[in-house]
Amino acid sequence: DKDNNIRRPRGVSLAKAALYQPQSDGSWSCLDGSKRIPFVQINDDYCDCADGSDEPGTAACVQMRFHCINQGHQPLDIYSSHVQDGICDCCDGSDELPAVGCANTCLELGAAAAIQRRSEAELHKRGAERRQEMITRGKQLKADRVARRSELQARIKEQESLKAEKEQLKTNAEALETEALEVYREQQRELDANTAQAEQEPQQMRHEASLSFVRFDANKDGFVEITELMIDMDLDKDRNGVVTVEEAKYFLDERERVDLDAFVTLAWPRIKPLKMLADGLFQPPQTEEQAATEAPLANEQQEAQLEIDPPTNEHEDLEDEEEHYDDEEDEEEEPDVGVGEALPEFEATTETTTTTPNYDPETQRLIEQANGARQALEEVERQLREIEHEVKEIEEQDAKDYGVNEEWAMLDGECYTFEDREYVYTLCPFDRVSQKPKNGGAETTLGRWDQWFGEGDNKYTRQKYAQGAACWNGPQRSALVNIRCAVEPKITAVSEPNRCEYSYDFETPAACDSDALAATARAHDEL
Amino acid sequence: VDPTNFKTCEQSSFCRRSRKVQSTGSKYAIIRGTVNTYSDSLTADLINKENHHQFTLKLEALVGSTFRLQIDEKQPLRPRYRVEHALKDEPKTTRIRVQESDELSITVGTSKAVIHGDPFRIDFYENDVLVVAVNAKNWLYFEHLRQKAKAPAEPADGGDDAQQQQQENAEAAQPAGETVDDPGAWEENFKSHHDSKPNGPEAVALDFSFPATEVLFGIPEHADSFALKSTSGTEPYRLYNLDVFEYILDSKMALYGSVPVIYGHGPERTAGVYWQNAAETWVDIYTAETNVVSSLVNFVSGSRKSTPPSAHFISESGIVDAFIMLGPKPMDVFKQYAALTGTHPLPQLFSLGYHQCRWNYNDERDVTSVSAKFDEYNIPMDTMWLDIEYTNGKRYFTWDKFKFPEPLTMIKNLTELGRHLVIIIDPHIKRDTSYFFHNDCTENGYYVKTREGNDYEGWCWPGPASYPDFFNPVVRDYYASQYQLSKFNTVTEDVMLWNDMNEPSVFNGPEVTAAKDLVHYGNWEHRDVHNLYGHMNIMGTFEGLQQRDPNQRPFILTRAHFAGSQRYAAIWTGDNMAEWAHLQYSIKMCLTEAVAGFSFCGADVAGFFGNPDSELVERWYQTGAFLPFFRAHAHIDTKRREPWLFSERTREIIKEAVKIRYSYLPLWYTSFYELEKTGAPVIRPMLTHYPLDKETFSIDNQLLVQQRLLVRPVMQQGVSKVDVYFPAVDDKKNGDYWYDVETFQRQERTGYESIPVNEHKIPVWQRGGSIVPKKERPRRASTLMLNDPYTLVICLDRQGKAAGTLYLDDEKSYAYRDGKHIHVNYEFAENQLTNRFIGKPNYKSDAWLERIIIAGLERVPSSATITVNGISQQLEVEQRNGAVVVRKPSIKMDVDFAVKLNA
Repeated sequence: DKDNNIRRPRGVSLAKAALYQPQSDGSWSCLDGSKRIPFVQINDDYCDCADGSDEPGTAACVQMRFHCINQGHQPLDIYSSHVQDGICDCCDGSDELPAVGCANTCLELGAAAAIQRRSEAELHKRGAERRQEMITRGKQLKADRVARRSELQARIKEQESLKAEKEQLKTNAEALETEALEVYREQQRELDANTAQAEQEPQQMRHEASLSFVRFDANKDGFVEITELMIDMDLDKDRNGVVTVEEAKYFLDERERVDLDAFVTLAWPRIKPLKMLADGLFQPPQTEEQAATEAPLANEQQEAQLEIDPPTNEHEDLEDEEEHYDDEEDEEEEPDVGVGEALPEFEATTETTTTTPNYDPETQRLIEQANGARQALEEVERQLREIEHEVKEIEEQDAKDYGVNEEWAMLDGECYTFEDREYVYTLCPFDRVSQKPKNGGAETTLGRWDQWFGEGDNKYTRQKYAQGAACWNGPQRSALVNIRCAVEPKITAVSEPNRCEYSYDFETPAACDSDALAATARAHDEL
Repeated sequence: VDPTNFKTCEQSSFCRRSRKVQSTGSKYAIIRGTVNTYSDSLTADLINKENHHQFTLKLEALVGSTFRLQIDEKQPLRPRYRVEHALKDEPKTTRIRVQESDELSITVGTSKAVIHGDPFRIDFYENDVLVVAVNAKNWLYFEHLRQKAKAPAEPADGGDDAQQQQQENAEAAQPAGETVDDPGAWEENFKSHHDSKPNGPEAVALDFSFPATEVLFGIPEHADSFALKSTSGTEPYRLYNLDVFEYILDSKMALYGSVPVIYGHGPERTAGVYWQNAAETWVDIYTAETNVVSSLVNFVSGSRKSTPPSAHFISESGIVDAFIMLGPKPMDVFKQYAALTGTHPLPQLFSLGYHQCRWNYNDERDVTSVSAKFDEYNIPMDTMWLDIEYTNGKRYFTWDKFKFPEPLTMIKNLTELGRHLVIIIDPHIKRDTSYFFHNDCTENGYYVKTREGNDYEGWCWPGPASYPDFFNPVVRDYYASQYQLSKFNTVTEDVMLWNDMNEPSVFNGPEVTAAKDLVHYGNWEHRDVHNLYGHMNIMGTFEGLQQRDPNQRPFILTRAHFAGSQRYAAIWTGDNMAEWAHLQYSIKMCLTEAVAGFSFCGADVAGFFGNPDSELVERWYQTGAFLPFFRAHAHIDTKRREPWLFSERTREIIKEAVKIRYSYLPLWYTSFYELEKTGAPVIRPMLTHYPLDKETFSIDNQLLVQQRLLVRPVMQQGVSKVDVYFPAVDDKKNGDYWYDVETFQRQERTGYESIPVNEHKIPVWQRGGSIVPKKERPRRASTLMLNDPYTLVICLDRQGKAAGTLYLDDEKSYAYRDGKHIHVNYEFAENQLTNRFIGKPNYKSDAWLERIIIAGLERVPSSATITVNGISQQLEVEQRNGAVVVRKPSIKMDVDFAVKLNA
């Protein structure tokens, strides 16, 4: 390249060569105009100019940069502090005196860089094909969501009118039932006698819950958290051998952790049935027949219990009923004097000792009718909730940013793992990141989906997961996921650069953008 | 830290017993006719008039206005421990002149000791002024060794009658008839720990008064003010090497190091006492100013003379071995102490650069990338450090092969950039039968033993751990030999060492350290030698590093230290906190350490525990840049805080501070050479050079670097000005000129000045009359600056004069001890700069003189003329930033020259 032969002081780039020409009188002005010096004082290893411009080729001016031409590779500006310090910083060795003996490695480096660029381009090209599929799929998913959502909206309307209808039927049936049961009112007094006993129930329940709280709170921090439940296999509701975060969260009323009060009122009622089940003390309804027989008991019981144990809004389903059976179980162990037939709702409920209440046939029919109406309403309500839940899920997905072209949408619902010496790390994009010791022990949530976290134009190169499990004596865990292009999705590294702050390196074709890469490369070449 | 985990004097039986004498006094007298005089010393027998036990006393005169007083039992049941290895070598004695009239006096030059027989007392005079009085208060207390009564004593501290009875019986069996009725005399408990005390009571205590002084200072290590406070009504200062995390400030609690040297200072005289005892020691301080009652009495009685400051040293065992240093000026007494215990040898230059540490750099990639980041941001950094996590499960001399599979490559990555690596090696040895070091120690009996003769087992970082008995020379040799590259072949001779936890720290031991009834080499109890354990540890390390590479100066950082440890290692102030107050105490603590021999002192920059905000980080870097040991360090649970993790503003301020540090490296290096040669501390309290100015006595938020710089860092949050004290040289408020090192703005008045500061400002002044050598081209590591040119900064005094030295050599080897160095004194007077070599300049350096900056000239000269070997040449002169700059004298540093300013 003959341009490189243009005369200019050492350390000056071609672009600035014109600034380093002597005046006719042999003088030269500092580039900031602050001073005029003899041209021969340029690069004389003494800093004359306030801006350091007289020493582009030495270390004399601390604020100066040295320009390496690096022919065959990329030019580079290095700090003047790195000039003539005995360390070869420029691949052409121009920053050091010959005595240092820096080898010129520019051609090799240039060739290697070219190969690197080509393979990068190739990677992006191949990855971009996958990405295109992901875009197509992502857009399809979005369209599906839109369609599904309007479908669900329509069904909600249907269900709501159905619900109104069933409510009316229930109201009517219950009015008849109430009337028929009027005659049994007298026995209410005896029921009241038992209320005293019932009032003790919260006390006892609290005691029992507190003991359980202490057992669960393994780290004694005054909270029971997800990981502390995850080690209790009794809570494996779906019996798949693992207490998942979701399962554990259910017991904590969908929270990360609960304190004692919340545990007593929200968590324990859900946990207790499973504990009893595990202890063999409680048998859930086995057959439809039985369920039918027991349903009225359950319902009445539920009403009777309203003041002690308000059911939680979201999960008044089967489990709730189980809880109440369960409470009855407790009472079985208490003195049970003078109730018996008159108070069927307090009757023991094990299969062997179930007794049928002594209602007259008409009353019995009205009760069954009312039960039927209640069940029908419940069924409608249940369906409505399911639909609403699905709508909510769709809304959540819509709220997530799946990229300009929906190329990231496919990753939602996937999970990837990475093993190092001690842990298995998991990344479920748009959901959560977690860590599980290989030698056993509970999984720890390192963070839940928070936001894209890349800087500036590179927004989609980094994700943030926040609000993970709290560290002992420290903050809640969090993680950053750095994303790069590759044909196959993979976690390539996980580290913890700060205590409780994790860093994932993740590769996916979604990050492959050959157009963007080409643009960058062009911009680079123009330089 | 929870202070109740550590003993009070009352909870330490020997302290409460010895302290009791403060109300009753004691009765010791020299036995008539037992005095013997020799050419350099005097001996006599001493008797306790109450129990008739006899002691021998020896008073020696040492070279340099110093006396040594030793008192031991005349016929002890067993030998009592005498401290070894603290003194640099056997002190040189000198001839005395003995005069006997009413009293016995011995004279050496201008020093004199006057011995009073009954009550026993020795008065030390310097030029006829009484400067130190020994036992003036009659608080000498010496518990002689005795047989324990046959009846086994019940566990102590119960205080029941039966036990009292038994102890009285025990005392009755003593021929001397003395009663030691303290329930902790023969055994004592603290928390769940039992001390069997098989040797019973054996305390020694003595008082020292300083009649010609007003303030006492010394006895590090405490997180307290530089000037010692009165302890009447409070705890005494405690000297007992302990691992105290998140230590309490403004406290007399013991910390990691114990240096039992104290100084008294007044306008006319400065004197000191080195109490050589390695057992647990408490020091009660009485100062006139804080003693309200006595000053009130004096005020009322119209007496001018208040009670002189005094110190009462109380040690658990050993003998009385006191060195009385008579000054008369602060620098004299600092040098007298250095003559006894030695100085830090000239360190390699790199260790005066900036150190980057963290618990922990995670793996090789982390180390290499942090180093690369310093280059990316152009911030100088000399040394990367690895804390305990680099090891294979806290087994020292091994590596975690997963995180550090190729340490030699990692080390090469650093050394190729001119950087160094420092790794930690602690003295607790993992009890693991697959660990060679443990097996060697077990098989050869190298561990410290329990009273029953078993290997002592404590709990530390590795879990169950034992502790090598470094007091045994064979163990020291074994330990030192482990550093040989043939054995420890995963490091290179450039990897230096950090010895932490060497108090020793024992997590499950009493007060987080070893039990006192453990047994060391020579059958000494741990009680006798505790404060020396870390010292013996670093002696071994120093030996190991010297054997590894006999021509390279070792660098060692230690946490525990005793008198004399400065000969082997630098220290830091331990596990401080990221709080403003801890920043302030870093200066107070290092000033005290500096006058006690430990100039090479620093604090964890930005605080070990906690997460500092960016302002605290900025100010801490600015302060740390002007303490001799400059290292950033942080606890494993803190957020990462390398400079680039902060905002650009903070990063720039950090970079500026580090660069200023590097620009002054020639001054720091010269100061350390002169420390080795003379014992003059590198950093100094103001009173060192302004002894007449009483205001300086209590100043501990500013310091002097030699007598050249005055540093008053900003150490408070959110301030826009700081009050700086410019000291007076006499009692007429005359003072030196002080030139702001950035602007050369001159302070001419003495007293407090309010100095405006912005976030970039580090308030530093150069003294008028001084010349400071600098290198104004900071590089990525100091090692790469070896051949870079020098700048001389000349600040003129009122007479238009200045002087200052420069020292240079190869910055690494011991060749300087063969004279391969240049030591030069520059002098400026009559508008001319000349140099005068101290000794022969015998080192070939490529470095040269780049520029001369002169502040304080009346008018700007037109030019300058440099003359070398009779040949003259014109030099350009320009005015820059309030000073005059002489352009490019371009001479090598070993050349004689004169630069004359032309009118």
